[in-house]
Amino acid sequence: MFSDSTTTRMGESCMSDSASAAKVETPSPASRRADDVGETSERTRREPSSIELKGLHKRFGRDTVALDDVDLTIEAGEFFTLLGPSGCGKTTLLRILAGLEEPDDGRLLIGGEDITDIPPHRRSVNTVFQSYALFPHLSVRDNLAFGLRMRGESAAERRRKVDEVAEFIQLGSLVERRVDQLSGGQRQRIALARALICEPNVLLLDEPLSALDAGLRGQLQVELQRIQKRLGMTFVFVTHDQDEAMVMSDRIAVLDAGIIQQVGTPNEVYEHPRNAFVARFMGHDNLFAIHASQEDWVDTELGRLRLDPAEQRQEQEGWLLVRPETLELNADLSEDYNRLEGQVRERLYRGSRVEYRLEVNGVTVMATASNVGQRLHNVGDKVAVGVHPEDLVRVAS
Amino acid sequence: MKKRTLQRGLSGFWWLTLVFLYLPLAVVVFFSFNAANSAARFTGFSLRWYERLLGNEQIISAFWNSLVLAIVSSVIALAIGCLIGYGMYRHRHRKLGWLIVLIYLPIVLPDIVFGISEMAFFVSVHRHTGLLQPGLLTMIISHVTFQIPFVALIVYSRLVGLDPTLFEAAKDLYATPVKRAWHFLLPTIKPALISAFFLSFTLSIDDFVISFFTSGPESATLPIYIWGAIKKGVTPEINAIAALMIGAVALAAMLSLLFNRQGQR
Repeated sequence: MFSDSTTTRMGESCMSDSASAAKVETPSPASRRADDVGETSERTRREPSSIELKGLHKRFGRDTVALDDVDLTIEAGEFFTLLGPSGCGKTTLLRILAGLEEPDDGRLLIGGEDITDIPPHRRSVNTVFQSYALFPHLSVRDNLAFGLRMRGESAAERRRKVDEVAEFIQLGSLVERRVDQLSGGQRQRIALARALICEPNVLLLDEPLSALDAGLRGQLQVELQRIQKRLGMTFVFVTHDQDEAMVMSDRIAVLDAGIIQQVGTPNEVYEHPRNAFVARFMGHDNLFAIHASQEDWVDTELGRLRLDPAEQRQEQEGWLLVRPETLELNADLSEDYNRLEGQVRERLYRGSRVEYRLEVNGVTVMATASNVGQRLHNVGDKVAVGVHPEDLVRVAS
Repeated sequence: MKKRTLQRGLSGFWWLTLVFLYLPLAVVVFFSFNAANSAARFTGFSLRWYERLLGNEQIISAFWNSLVLAIVSSVIALAIGCLIGYGMYRHRHRKLGWLIVLIYLPIVLPDIVFGISEMAFFVSVHRHTGLLQPGLLTMIISHVTFQIPFVALIVYSRLVGLDPTLFEAAKDLYATPVKRAWHFLLPTIKPALISAFFLSFTLSIDDFVISFFTSGPESATLPIYIWGAIKKGVTPEINAIAALMIGAVALAAMLSLLFNRQGQR
């Protein structure tokens, strides 16, 4: 599965193995799964699996609610991210998927099969741990082969797969090294490869990039996404970094206090956050309390602003989100735009863009301008601020 | 200038400590090669006392007793202590986890108190049931008792030093509980186990007080034999036994340290 030349061969062996297994065993997946020795073909990946969480509850001790009635469906072959601050329950959710934690209530289905009570060593799910968790007593090769060995695959098969996966992640030269001879980035890749080599139905990633420096992290973000698309495997990724989540994911679930606040594609979550928590967590500072509202306008601290009626939400109360990059400063704008007067209080020069802290009607407003051919505004300058009604979003509190 | 003086003083103190620690041992080893039957005057190099040792049946029997006692008790203590160390690790977050410090009692209790209570216990069991007659078996039991806390502590500290997610990684990678123990846990703590074995071994070889109270007439170990022999005065023969024991214990202690260091890496 990791290279074109072997795809067909492995595909064939999978099919013949599972066919012969089906002849001997009863075809019920649950009963076949119950036996964990010898049945290597059983867990060999055929299709990516979907995940369904139904009414999951998890509590630690008496007072700490980690997950509060979580319902969630993750599509097969999706790169899905659980995003939230520390303590929001995202890691608990991941650990329940891995089987390392048991939910107090609720069901967990992978590929349509209820695996709530299946222990971790019998789940076709593998995890890339935050600390990588490479076995210190084993070489890189033995670390990579560990899962295959525990499933009882032959030495020849293990050797072939390790070489294949090492080439796939371009770390073939490291295979005979000891774990303590690897750099952080190399350990990260070996941890990923150790999970991928088992060809699980679902791959779980618990903040795997958080220990790396920014440059390497960016590079691995792209690489991880590419690997996921190439393998078509279902990835569930946990992070507290909203940029990372947006770059990599097909869909994101934003969690807070054990509750899923919003599920959507990166641009849905970023541009149309459902509530103030999601908006703030996605990095939006420009939230203004709505005092009164009608079909196509709202009164806020900034003054009365016209809205796109299509954006209409039922909530009368809440917040108005004005994304900094949608504000136009001193531009020649059409009649449609809302126009405000502001003064520059602070300027942050970021190279590709410039951030301004403005004061508009006594309220602080952040504005971001891309740094292309226009004159920079100086601190103290009066500026005309324009924002298009379609760029204004109402957010529940 | 003042700092220099202080440093010199401290280094002098260090050398003094070494002298008090090792000079008596060196004297014993030195006189074990004495040609004359004297612990005061060295007349020439000779191995005659070592030859005499090999001819002394009591010493040979005491040597075998010591060896059997040390090996058997260390193996048993290793098995039990390893389980206790793992149990302490697994349940370290429990509310009453601190109760486990009770197993450290033998470490802090004076040997003589420990030895006398073991003796009283074995004697009363023997009187009522006819079992546990003082001898090698009772010695093994009492040695195991004081070795266990050391083994448990070494195993526990090795486990605590591990990344806890390693246990989860093993589960995640399809290892059944038995395979987890065999392919992950045991290989990972192997250096600690070897280290604990050699430490137990030295503790057993060294022990006199507890052995003395729990031994029977046929089960004298080397320290007990030496105790009996020096009543007649320190002979070069005793020096030779002592020299051999110093060598054996130093070797075992060094192996223990070596494997422990290897495990910490």
